[in-house]
Amino acid sequence: MRTAEVGMAAALVVLGGVLIWQAVQLPIGWTPIGPGAGFFPFWLAVGVTVSAAGILVGRLRVQPAPRDRKAFIPTHAWRPLLAVFLPMVAVVALMNVLGIYLGGALYLAGYMWLVGRHRPLTIVLVSVLVPAALFFIFERWFLLPLPKGAVLESILYGR
Amino acid sequence: MGFLSVFDNLLYGLGVALTPVNLLVAVVGLVLGTAIGVLPGLGGTNGVALLLPLTFTLTPTSAIILLASVYWGAIFGGAITSILFNIPGEPWSVATTFDGHPLAKQGKPGIALTAAFTSSFIGALVSIILFTFFAPPLAELALRFGPPENFAVLLLAFATFAGLESGHPLKTVLMTLLGLLLSTVGFDIVSGRPRMNFGFVELQSGINFVVIAIGLFGLGEILLTVEEGLRLEGIRGRISFRDLWETWRLFPRYIATLVRATILGFWIGVLPGTGATPASFVSYGLAKQFSRHPERFGKGEVEGVVAPETAAHAAGIGALLPMVTLGIPGSPTAAVMLAGFFIWGLNPGPLLFTEQREFVWGLIGSMYIANVIGVVLVLTMVPVFAAINRIPFGILAPLIVILSSIGAYAANNQILDLWIMLGSGVAGYLFKKLGYPLAPLVVALVLGDMTEQALRQSLIMGQGRLSFFLTRPIALLFIAASAVLFLLPVLRGIRRRPARGAPRPVEAA
Repeated sequence: MRTAEVGMAAALVVLGGVLIWQAVQLPIGWTPIGPGAGFFPFWLAVGVTVSAAGILVGRLRVQPAPRDRKAFIPTHAWRPLLAVFLPMVAVVALMNVLGIYLGGALYLAGYMWLVGRHRPLTIVLVSVLVPAALFFIFERWFLLPLPKGAVLESILYGR
Repeated sequence: MGFLSVFDNLLYGLGVALTPVNLLVAVVGLVLGTAIGVLPGLGGTNGVALLLPLTFTLTPTSAIILLASVYWGAIFGGAITSILFNIPGEPWSVATTFDGHPLAKQGKPGIALTAAFTSSFIGALVSIILFTFFAPPLAELALRFGPPENFAVLLLAFATFAGLESGHPLKTVLMTLLGLLLSTVGFDIVSGRPRMNFGFVELQSGINFVVIAIGLFGLGEILLTVEEGLRLEGIRGRISFRDLWETWRLFPRYIATLVRATILGFWIGVLPGTGATPASFVSYGLAKQFSRHPERFGKGEVEGVVAPETAAHAAGIGALLPMVTLGIPGSPTAAVMLAGFFIWGLNPGPLLFTEQREFVWGLIGSMYIANVIGVVLVLTMVPVFAAINRIPFGILAPLIVILSSIGAYAANNQILDLWIMLGSGVAGYLFKKLGYPLAPLVVALVLGDMTEQALRQSLIMGQGRLSFFLTRPIALLFIAASAVLFLLPVLRGIRRRPARGAPRPVEAA
């Protein structure tokens, strides 16, 4: 827990530094049109760095307490966490290629099969009907085109 | 504006809200909102964010009625899961679990639910009346604000976080600054030059706030939920006429609590940035302190349900007051709605009252209508809504992720935003676990452009001297109030007395 807290504060100090560096690429002082473009971001970034440093120092000064030895992510939590997180990454990657509907359908089916352990019939029904319903709501009803990917585009519109 | 014209406008607004389209929109919003409120891991803030793309095709008036109704529904719905499942469906219903679930376990789920819905409704109704009469004069006052006053009000919004969040004050400040920084990514509004984009062309249009909110509140929340292991074992509950009668008979006894909780909740809601969550905790703590039987709290005291629910809904209404009059969201959920204003082509701020009469008064009118429909809906439909929690998590989790992706994509029609959403999801999970509050970041991100513009214009007006603010009495008043709020955590640190009735830090939503 302590390692995670210290690590996060340290990472934020670094982030603040990087942001200061980004800000000083721009005029941060007074220019003919008033405060320069970098003025606001610069002082914000300074604030981020200072407060992160404050948190870091505060954390390091406190003596380690028993609760600090508790793991940041308890061992038993890793499995369910990864079981949700990895498919999340996969679906975003899939949606980049296959579009939201196909990518979403595959994700639903895969997740229900591997994690939810549902019956095949349920899996097929849900992973077909839900994206189909979404398609009608967004594409037809609300006329909001979502990315469909080359495959679905060619099936639907022959493009 | 006199009383008569307020009544005129209110009647007009009720007429707008009662048109078939808007009535339908309100009912749909309430049903969706209650479902969102019931589901743990899907909150009002990201519920509203997910529906935002669907509002593109509606008129602005119907759109705001839809989103506001979702908010009211979510506030009602959060109580159902708290009482029957002992798991808060929303952060603002954490305090409702303290006495609501014990009541349900004692075989009185109907009484707990009736008490929650009724007090929520009373808190809402009184707040809407306050809203109706406070909003026009506040908007009129705000019309006279220049950049220094606007900056001072925004400062007050950020100071409220630092003063009222129960966590580490430095972390709150840091998250606020980070949110403001995210808003500077893209183009500089004054000089027109690209900035803070680390050389990525894709970032030049800026970071969309809806994408970040969906990631932080939506995906981050799912990760947190699965870690705690989601097993929902609930008590079956329905509300009989007997429950209604038995609960309502008790209500005259709670007049003092109801009045206190409503005023407190409304006020906390109006304070920019904080919403229903802190209101519910403070109200619970106060009710316990004032009670003649504080020892009964936590064991199934009806008053322990009444106090937080009244305040939560009052705060939800209050949170929309600065949003409509000043263009400053009173809560993260209101912040998402405010993002909608820009999409619908409206300029949030005091001019809305004069230029968008249908929009503003339609919203106010719909608050009355939607909350009346809402309380009837939840009182009669508890079993249906409670059944939503029987959707297996194996279906629910991917469904939320798909809906989140659609919402994040539609905000900007950019597939890159899906990765930003994913990144914010991870960040949200880590931040929340380490006690960094998310609400200040989200609100600051929405208010960033406005804040920078107000500050830079003020500095130009004062030729670069900060002392210029001293010549503006209204601005000075707000700055002084902000200073007091910023100092609150320091004073609390000296007194070192944790507030009673606030067992763990929970942030605004």
